[in-house]
Amino acid sequence: MELTKNITLGVYLPGKSFIHRLDPRTKIIASGIIISLLLIIRSYPAYGVVFLFVAAAVLIAGIPAGYAFSGFKPMLPVLIFMWIFQLFLYSSSDAKTLFSWWIFSATDAGFHMGALVTLRVIFLFGVTTLLTLTTSMVSLTDGLESLLSPLKAIGLPTQELVMTMVIALRFVLILAEELDKIIKAQMARGVAFDRGNFIQKTKKIFPVFLPLFISAFKRAEELIIAMEARSYTGGRHRTKMKTLHLGRVDLEAGLIMIAFTALIIYLILITVPPI
Amino acid sequence: MSLSVRKIVISGILGAISILLGVTRLGFIPVPTPAGHATIMHIPAILGGVLEGPVVGLITGAIFGLFSFLQPGAPFFADPLVSIFPRLFIGVVAYLVYFATKRINTVLACVLAGAVGSATNTILVLGMATIRGYLPSEVSVSIGVLHGVPELIVAAILTVILVKGIRRIRPEEENEPQP
Repeated sequence: MELTKNITLGVYLPGKSFIHRLDPRTKIIASGIIISLLLIIRSYPAYGVVFLFVAAAVLIAGIPAGYAFSGFKPMLPVLIFMWIFQLFLYSSSDAKTLFSWWIFSATDAGFHMGALVTLRVIFLFGVTTLLTLTTSMVSLTDGLESLLSPLKAIGLPTQELVMTMVIALRFVLILAEELDKIIKAQMARGVAFDRGNFIQKTKKIFPVFLPLFISAFKRAEELIIAMEARSYTGGRHRTKMKTLHLGRVDLEAGLIMIAFTALIIYLILITVPPI
Repeated sequence: MSLSVRKIVISGILGAISILLGVTRLGFIPVPTPAGHATIMHIPAILGGVLEGPVVGLITGAIFGLFSFLQPGAPFFADPLVSIFPRLFIGVVAYLVYFATKRINTVLACVLAGAVGSATNTILVLGMATIRGYLPSEVSVSIGVLHGVPELIVAAILTVILVKGIRRIRPEEENEPQP
């Protein structure tokens, strides 16, 4: 059981590609735009364009496609299962029945609903993974802080919230290694994690959870002391060693994004949604 | 408004545990129902509320929600109204329940906070999924019973054990005096 193998979230693959060189703010805004578009897209041609765009971005960034989607593998069975589930259960008044079996009948509305939502899941995953794989944690922090800074005006502690997000992302990998150790230690003591019915399996969570949380909270206490010893304060009057600058690449990326957004909106408007 | 270093770090680490349970699939209890899995990913949010108060509970819930939106485990989570919005309440509700009942008995308060926090997650998520049209209402109710009940039991037990365990290693002044 290798837990850390499939984790791509919070991993950064250094590189010098067009996408790596973009200002983090450009990348965050671009991802935000694609995510918002994904929420309103209900047509297959538009998804086709999104696919080409994301695939091109992965190719340009030089990320091995197999690696980018390795974090997706454990989700696959659930997605397929859910699609089948929606195929049979989702229905609307004018839905055509594709085929029936016993008390279940599959409708075209269910088919499309399942397909569209599954595509959305896949692309949401792809876009966020691409963002974190091509942006280092430091630039992600700087970019988010800079983008959220207007919210300080309404009293939100943006810098602290970004710090929280960064700690969360950073600690996923650290705690994953910890979890690996705990599970191996418990297996060495004879706990068989893959056997038993669901109540027996649930019971086996306890000897893993307690050590995991205790070790996480020990690390938290250490981090609190370390940060307080260095007088960490978020918020005002902080200056940066490296300031962000928008460059020519960002202008080009911006133009590409405008063209892409326009094309998607055009496709959404001209195609009739299948449901 | 500003957050103390303690609140920043604890919410961050609890958020990390939520994400970790998601990416390793360890947070999913295989329950044989149409929606696939019951979850224990909301337990860090409950703990945040009980141990550190409503703000940490809210932030931890938000991180959990954001993660389940961006890396969805089930298709209907690919909608921020289903994945993020309901999760904001888990920690806050857990805190309120704990705060209201801790004078009676802290163990009972933890059990109730875990159970009600878990029920908040189940009801709000399935409610939103039904309102947004991803699930027919009869299916939601059956998932709610089949998933909600084991989730609730596991959450209640885990909250008691974890709160007790964690309080032992925290600095004295951060824990409220035991009755």
